[in-house]
Amino acid sequence: MRLLIQLSINGLITGGLYSLIALSFGLVYRSTRIFHLALGAVYTTAAYGMYVGTNWGIWAGIISGLVSAVILSLLVEWFIYQPFVKKGSSLGVILIASLGVYIIVVNLIALLFGNEVKMISSGIEPSFSLEFIILTRIQIIQFIVSIIVILIIWSGLKKSKFLKVVWAMGDEPQLLEVLGLPIFRIRSLIFILSGLLVATASMLSAYDIGIDPHQGLSAILLGAVAVLVGGIDNLWGWIIAAFLISEIQSLAMWKFSAKWNDAITFFLLIFALLFKPKGLFTSERRVEER
Amino acid sequence: MNYVLHLCIMIGIYLILVYSLNLVLGFCGLLSLCHAAFYGIGAYTYTLLVMNYEIPFLLALFLTVCITGIFAFLISIPGLKFRGDPFVLVTLGFQIIIFSVLYNWISLTRGPYGIPGIPRPEIFGLKIDSIYEYFCFVLCVLVVVLVFLGILYRSPFGLALKSLREDEKAAESLGKSAYHHFLWAFTIGGAIAGIAGALYASYITYIDPTSFTLDESIFQVVILLVGGAGNLIGPTLGTIFMILLPESLRFLGLPDTVAANVRQIIYGGILILLMYFRPQGIKGDFKIR
Amino acid sequence: MKELKLKKVGKCFKGFWAVRDVTARFLPRKITGLIGPNGAGKTTIFHLITGELIPDKGEIFYGEKSIKGLHPWQVARLGIGRMFQDIRIFKNLSVLENVIISLQTPQEETPFYAFFHTKNKKKKEEALKWLEFVGLKDEWRKKSEELSYGQQKLLALARLLAGNFDVLLLDEPIAGVNPFIAKKILDMLRELVEKYAKTIVIIEHNMNVIIEITDWVYFLNEGRVQFFGKPEHVLGAKEVKKVYLGFTK
Repeated sequence: MRLLIQLSINGLITGGLYSLIALSFGLVYRSTRIFHLALGAVYTTAAYGMYVGTNWGIWAGIISGLVSAVILSLLVEWFIYQPFVKKGSSLGVILIASLGVYIIVVNLIALLFGNEVKMISSGIEPSFSLEFIILTRIQIIQFIVSIIVILIIWSGLKKSKFLKVVWAMGDEPQLLEVLGLPIFRIRSLIFILSGLLVATASMLSAYDIGIDPHQGLSAILLGAVAVLVGGIDNLWGWIIAAFLISEIQSLAMWKFSAKWNDAITFFLLIFALLFKPKGLFTSERRVEER
Repeated sequence: MNYVLHLCIMIGIYLILVYSLNLVLGFCGLLSLCHAAFYGIGAYTYTLLVMNYEIPFLLALFLTVCITGIFAFLISIPGLKFRGDPFVLVTLGFQIIIFSVLYNWISLTRGPYGIPGIPRPEIFGLKIDSIYEYFCFVLCVLVVVLVFLGILYRSPFGLALKSLREDEKAAESLGKSAYHHFLWAFTIGGAIAGIAGALYASYITYIDPTSFTLDESIFQVVILLVGGAGNLIGPTLGTIFMILLPESLRFLGLPDTVAANVRQIIYGGILILLMYFRPQGIKGDFKIR
Repeated sequence: MKELKLKKVGKCFKGFWAVRDVTARFLPRKITGLIGPNGAGKTTIFHLITGELIPDKGEIFYGEKSIKGLHPWQVARLGIGRMFQDIRIFKNLSVLENVIISLQTPQEETPFYAFFHTKNKKKKEEALKWLEFVGLKDEWRKKSEELSYGQQKLLALARLLAGNFDVLLLDEPIAGVNPFIAKKILDMLRELVEKYAKTIVIIEHNMNVIIEITDWVYFLNEGRVQFFGKPEHVLGAKEVKKVYLGFTK
């Protein structure tokens, strides 16, 4: 029983990280309709950026992680996505190109740093206990940071004109051009935001469990699942779905073991989509209507 | 000479895989990233039938086709309610689930330790042992599969698939149900991939989950994208190109640890350049939607 | 013969009612016209009938059967066919194949049939017959994207006719074609109703065409049916004139 509670709380904390990834993926997907698989490369780059930067202290590590993620994110948008969009390529074509980017970047990183797992923090993390619940320092930081970021995004959507435009882009992309708004400049800002969000999640996780070149894809696929299960039009749906996935993973860990996590995530996806194809929290009825 | 025969056998097995994927990707226009999962289900099903239950080869092959087909059918029931990105994600998910099962359900599959000692096929007392015999065998199976698929391609069923690929709304307005036609195509495609899996298992005589990963699914998709999907020549061109590519890389003399990463980088590069300059591949009928 | 009926049908898109309280009967063996300014909801009504959109309010009947909520392919199999405003022929297939596709029945399109049927000459002959009806017989070998715009429209019509539908929903069938082909199509429509007992619903902007071939007309504006009657009456009505000419006289 205690184990269950401990795992549930762990699940809550991981849920926060998953939410960040979901936001990162979802903002890009909803506004540009691009299935941003290359985000997995951005995720990995942030982690390795932090790894390199930490040689000069933890803050240098954090900054270098954020910066490297944003740079890669922008490079992908400017040199891959924009040319394809200007060429009029279909979304499926862009998806495959995005996959190509992921493969190249991740394997370059593997060539440079090796395929094994590396740790960023050395030594044991200090932990705190509340009754029988034990939380490490990094876990607490993960949770606090995630919640803060989520709240910032949420209030930003209500107040910031930029985020409102980003949200509207998903509904009527042509309308923005008609209104005279600089689409490509807005897209660049979206990718910067996406890079920052995913880098935060990546670095928080990297500090905790280490880095390896191949963790990026399953991390962001989780975000993609959360976005699709939550409903593409529903930001809170993404966040709730992310926490849901995390909690169910914890439950599974209580009964079985962590090795089934990936399978569980996708089982949930298929299960949810079976009953509510537009997402658990939306009300549209037919896929063709989109 | 043995090396050349080995290459030919692998090309033969891959042709079976790729032509079955062609039914889904080329004829239905659906990007499926779980074909390696069917490949793996076929390999493991065949292996377990033959080694645990000592079922004779032909019956095992038949059962493998049926069982793999059933898996393909089950995953396409929810999957085909979508198109585009959600569909890709569902196939991706299925691929990851199957790999997870093959890797983690150790009592069934021995997980990462793999299953060694798979016997070579024996048909009516005739044992197919030497590499030359195996090559002829694969060739026969390949011919049967290609004839089967060829008949499908040219049939009203094939024409209906092509029309749905061209313009799903227009085809549906003529009474064709995309869902049901794609269901058939996906099931048949998966079942045939199972054949390739069985052939692979009985050829290499050892299988482990690392041959049936997402990377493998991506590799098969790249073959079709390179050679061109939707017709009869493209898949062959793509297979020959993509199988010979890593072999020729070998002559560059890269150390093993580096070779795998370099190969992946080249695939990634091929994908991007291909999608930008020639999305329909060398000789394809259409471009990905 | 079955009658296609809409009863108080409504469709809402995020707060905007594209179609509101529409009640209409499309009488069998008649040509009914749907006119109205752009955005009035005419094409939306076609989408609602064929199942591409589901009505938020109201009912749609074909004969005694409610067809609300059916998938497009189910509606098609009941005998309601449509021609799209943007044609939508199968570009990569040949002219002949475009028609053959329409002739294929669901039973013939299963994988099993592929192995047990004999090479069907009858289909090819029947397809050529339809191509001859629209005057495209000589082009049967060509890839359909090589045809001119007008020819593609004829091909779409041939494909539709081959499907043996009882009800034909035509969305601006003569828009953008030269007068010679336009006349051909209009003659065909008359023949379809008189000789082949079809029911036709046609969306059109050309008032001459409306007067010439329709038996009844519905005038739609802002999602509602504002007027219904014989073509001469509808086009003389104040409301219609106001929309098209900007004044009443």
